Amino acid sequence: MNVAYFPGCSLHSMSREYDVSTRLVCQHLDINLREIEDWNCCGATAAHSVNHTLAVGLSARNLSIAEEMNLDKVTAVCAGCFSRLKAASHELRNNPHIKAEVEQMLKVTAPVKPEVEHLLQLLVEEIGLEAIREKVVKPLKGLRLAAYYGCLLTRPRQIAQFDDPEQPVSLDNLLKTLGAETVTWGHKAECCGGGYAASDTDIVLDLGGQVLKSARQAGAEAIVVACPMCQGNLDMRQKAMELDFRLPIIYFTQLIGLAFGYKSGQLGINKLFNSPMPLLKSKGLA
Amino acid sequence: MNATTSPVNQYFKALQLDETDSSLSQEILENCGVDIERCLECGKCSGGCSNTHIFDFTPRKIVQMIKIGDEKRLLHMDSLWCCVACHLCVDRCPSGIDIPRIMDYLREKAITKGIPATRPTVELFHNLMLDQVHKKGRVSELYLILNYNLKSRQYLKNAELGPQMFFKGKLNPIPARVKKMDQVRRLFRPKPGQKGEAR
Repeated sequence: MNVAYFPGCSLHSMSREYDVSTRLVCQHLDINLREIEDWNCCGATAAHSVNHTLAVGLSARNLSIAEEMNLDKVTAVCAGCFSRLKAASHELRNNPHIKAEVEQMLKVTAPVKPEVEHLLQLLVEEIGLEAIREKVVKPLKGLRLAAYYGCLLTRPRQIAQFDDPEQPVSLDNLLKTLGAETVTWGHKAECCGGGYAASDTDIVLDLGGQVLKSARQAGAEAIVVACPMCQGNLDMRQKAMELDFRLPIIYFTQLIGLAFGYKSGQLGINKLFNSPMPLLKSKGLA
Repeated sequence: MNATTSPVNQYFKALQLDETDSSLSQEILENCGVDIERCLECGKCSGGCSNTHIFDFTPRKIVQMIKIGDEKRLLHMDSLWCCVACHLCVDRCPSGIDIPRIMDYLREKAITKGIPATRPTVELFHNLMLDQVHKKGRVSELYLILNYNLKSRQYLKNAELGPQMFFKGKLNPIPARVKKMDQVRRLFRPKPGQKGEAR
């Protein structure tokens, strides 16, 4: 399967382990990820906060390159990038005014063909849990995980068109397929504080702190994420949140990779702030 | 305590209808494609809102203020600068009223009118990030944070995270650059009264 891949800025710097594990897992599942050539930043969250046309235009450019590459499916692994790409696609299809404006600025025909999917959706809906189960060689037995969806992976439902925004289950089902156990908890779709990590840190400490406490209360040993912004907010701020515990925050692609038999070093698990290694070793998984 | 001696709560302060203009809901309809008249007044937007505990005006209140055209307070409100855009409000709205889109529209309008942000660091961060997109087409987190600390005069903010991020190879010192920058730059439309590309 050929898929246009939009890594986004974080995956080239702070979240390189997410990029590395994504590529490994996709290769293992015969998904041919083709990075969008000369892609630009999606602008989240600054662009849509201050200039709507710019926000749609930035994503439109990325979609138009994917269309030029003859790819009708685009995948992103950052929930923010995914949301911006999908919202832009929606605007271009439904808002003739902004479509014309963007076409004039970019000097290209607006890309309306490519379908945008987050990698989690692609894996669960197109590859399928059965195909993934067949590749599991090291089941994640004994791991109690909190599957965290956050905001933009499933919301707003009119745009995301994936899973249930109130009680999402796709990541839980995937983790169970890998052999892990998932906890029932109240904050799986609450916000981590999003783009305020630097500009208004208190918001992240407040909202992210609630997510961590809720996962801990439910008995989770780690939180599993599908977004570099959620990962950063939840992983790097635990000290500042003054919690009396620490929880590893692991990318879902890293756990798929582990279950597929890759070594933790290959998946960049050592790059996470709060190391999951003691936990993984205690279950014989690393 | 009776109503006259209790501290004034901004939330319940009477709105001055003589200062309002009812064309705002029409403006929102035309620019955002959102029909505010569909609001059922159920309050699910505020019930779900992630940050309602720090908002000066809740989403439900914001919708009402649009209806009566209280533009002045809408453009000056703190909620514009601490909304996390989690989209819970629009997702739960039975009428699908796109409040995040309205928030973006009002924020953009406030900026265009030169109304200062209630949280200057938030606006600064947006501007610095877009500067990078304008210059290189991509964002380098390392330079964005360094520049932000410098400009906001919080020189040691997040410094404790630096060494660990460096040793884990999370800081990429070589910023990437988009090749077709002319295309990206054309998306930055000029401000009214300004020539060339700017925001």
